[in-house]
Amino acid sequence: MPRSRSNARQNHLKLARQIIEFILERDLSKGDHLPESVLSEACGVSRTPIRSALKLLEQKDIVQRREEGGFFLNLAPEALSPDISSDLDDMEGSLAARILSDRAERRLSDVQSVSALVRRYGAPRSSVLNSLKILSSDGVVVQLPGRAWAFQPMLDSPNAIEESLAFRLTLEPQAILTPGFQVDSQKIGLMRQQTEDFLQRPDGKLSSSAFLRLDCAFHSFIAESSGNRFARGVLLAHQRLRLSTQKDHTIADFRLRQSLNEHLGILDSLERMQLQLAADQMVLHLRRSQIRRPQTVNRGILPLARGGPL
Amino acid sequence: MTKPIIALFPEASFGSALNCVGIAQELQRNGAVPVFLCHSGFNGVFAEYGFKEYQLPASAASRPQTEDTWQTFVTAHVAHFNQDPMAQLNSYVAPTWDAIVDTAIRAEEGLESLLKRIKPAGIVLDNVIMFPAIANAGVPWIRVVSCTETEIPDANVPPYLSGLAADDPARPAFEARYLEVTAPAHHRFNEFRGQRGLAPLPAGQFLEPSPHLNLLLAPTAIRHERAAPLPEDRFVFLEGCVREEAQFDPPPLPVNEGPIVYMSFGSLGAIDTDLFARMITVFAAIPARFFVNVGGFLESYSQVPDNVYLGSWFPQPSIVSQADLFIHHGGNNSYCEALYFGVPSLIMPYCWDGHDNGLRVKQTGTGDFLQRNDWTAAQLSNVISALLGDTEMLGHLKKISEQMKATPGTVVAAQSIFQAIAGS
Repeated sequence: MPRSRSNARQNHLKLARQIIEFILERDLSKGDHLPESVLSEACGVSRTPIRSALKLLEQKDIVQRREEGGFFLNLAPEALSPDISSDLDDMEGSLAARILSDRAERRLSDVQSVSALVRRYGAPRSSVLNSLKILSSDGVVVQLPGRAWAFQPMLDSPNAIEESLAFRLTLEPQAILTPGFQVDSQKIGLMRQQTEDFLQRPDGKLSSSAFLRLDCAFHSFIAESSGNRFARGVLLAHQRLRLSTQKDHTIADFRLRQSLNEHLGILDSLERMQLQLAADQMVLHLRRSQIRRPQTVNRGILPLARGGPL
Repeated sequence: MTKPIIALFPEASFGSALNCVGIAQELQRNGAVPVFLCHSGFNGVFAEYGFKEYQLPASAASRPQTEDTWQTFVTAHVAHFNQDPMAQLNSYVAPTWDAIVDTAIRAEEGLESLLKRIKPAGIVLDNVIMFPAIANAGVPWIRVVSCTETEIPDANVPPYLSGLAADDPARPAFEARYLEVTAPAHHRFNEFRGQRGLAPLPAGQFLEPSPHLNLLLAPTAIRHERAAPLPEDRFVFLEGCVREEAQFDPPPLPVNEGPIVYMSFGSLGAIDTDLFARMITVFAAIPARFFVNVGGFLESYSQVPDNVYLGSWFPQPSIVSQADLFIHHGGNNSYCEALYFGVPSLIMPYCWDGHDNGLRVKQTGTGDFLQRNDWTAAQLSNVISALLGDTEMLGHLKKISEQMKATPGTVVAAQSIFQAIAGS
């Protein structure tokens, strides 16, 4: 099943990137032990995928497996940089990620043929097809009658992000209020821990991509807890789309912290099963996120506004 | 002891707004409570940095503009941006002053009641026009000149908005024309001032120096030697005014090699998407990575080259600090940020004081100037390559940067504001 293998590889790559961020955040030194249990807790997954991600890092000599057991950091911290993530992509030939990134950066037009992509990336036809199928499973592309593929809407511009927030504002609070909403208390604990860890970082070290991952994980958790299967499905798919395509997410440190504290407030209410309060907090949270900078300004003429109601 | 509330009132432009954010961050660090008075439509800009905002009460005439209004503005003015400063006096500067006077008149009543409610210990005004409610508030007010220092006239300083040298033979004609075209707005403004109990201002002037404190965003490296030096007790020059901002990590591009060039013409400059598209075509053939701020017009672009990245917003101090060249419109905040980080500027001005900085950047050896629309692909490419390879200029800029960082403008501004308030 090439498609399943590719999806698993994507997940391991994502985890490998998270492990690199964990190493950088914790200021670990060369030779430090990387216990699987700690990484498993930090990333919110079981130890099996963590082990696979560590093996990927081992292939890049970033970590080393020792006979005394476990993986150890094999590089000085200064040699570790976020660029390593792109090296990982290259290593795995992550064509789907490159196609997605190029589309989000407006390098690829709405409709693409497999041949055009083969030419652009110098990749075998089978790899391109496989990548398109991966993207198709996330709802990023659909196959048109014939051989062409069409990209679907992404979160690649301020207007798209604005529409996404309006859509979520309609649905997310309702997802909390529909009968059958149930939260996993263990997951709440994990979510809170990850959020609090992130908030410990000093200003200027709050990575916007790490924030996006945390934010999508939180909102996916809300979706997963919904008792309405359709709300659950639609919101989960949307969060996957956010995670893979959202651009333009550099947020000032203050708002970023404020946003995460709003998450913690919602988690508190959910733990107490005060669902109406949690839904109201979600409205406030999403409305605050809707406030955006004015689009265009000039002396003597008031700004062209963007965003939702203020 | 109660913390002093300091109200900052920047004009509705990103340059002065973000300049004031830098000052407010320092005021806050030193125990004040900075709050922002903001025009409708600017909500959220300051809250995002953690500051309380008070929006000027909106009347029907002062709500954020619609797409249609702006489209009318764009249609009317984009062509004017290609004119020289003298021609712009009639087509752009005069109607803009008219609109600015309207803004001041409309804001007055709401501003007065807002200030009575907030009861600030001092008011920081970063604007080009006086709002009488501020002078009448009964607390010290501080004027911030975040445009070029040409805003404060002097015989040795070039005429405001002219792009001319101080001794240019065309100076008298420009100044005469400036006074002529601004006369109707000026007359109307002086009448308004009279109604609010303020003395009239001399022709061409819309904002008087503060009797308490005036802060000028004019680093030593580009400052003019004045015929009549400004009194040091009331006029303080700032070596840049750079805010603390989120970190920007440049994403890897499909062609991820070469120096980093950042381009931003401000939110207004971004409306000229045809010009941007022409420039991006040229960038595609230059061995460098280009990060381009296209403002609210991201959806106007497609087929972006592999060495170019478009964004609708960049945390500018962060990306400028990583850049090897900054292409901008000569906005004073952008120019000063480039100097602060020791980055050469390619200035392509389209209006207002961008023309003045366009000249100054060449006079001071801190970058180069290019007419915004009148160039060939080879000329644009050559000037970028020359700036990227000019090691002598880079050495000069490094020294400027060190000097500016040694006395950060935000710190000096905050200290001076505290003194002005304490001394009142």
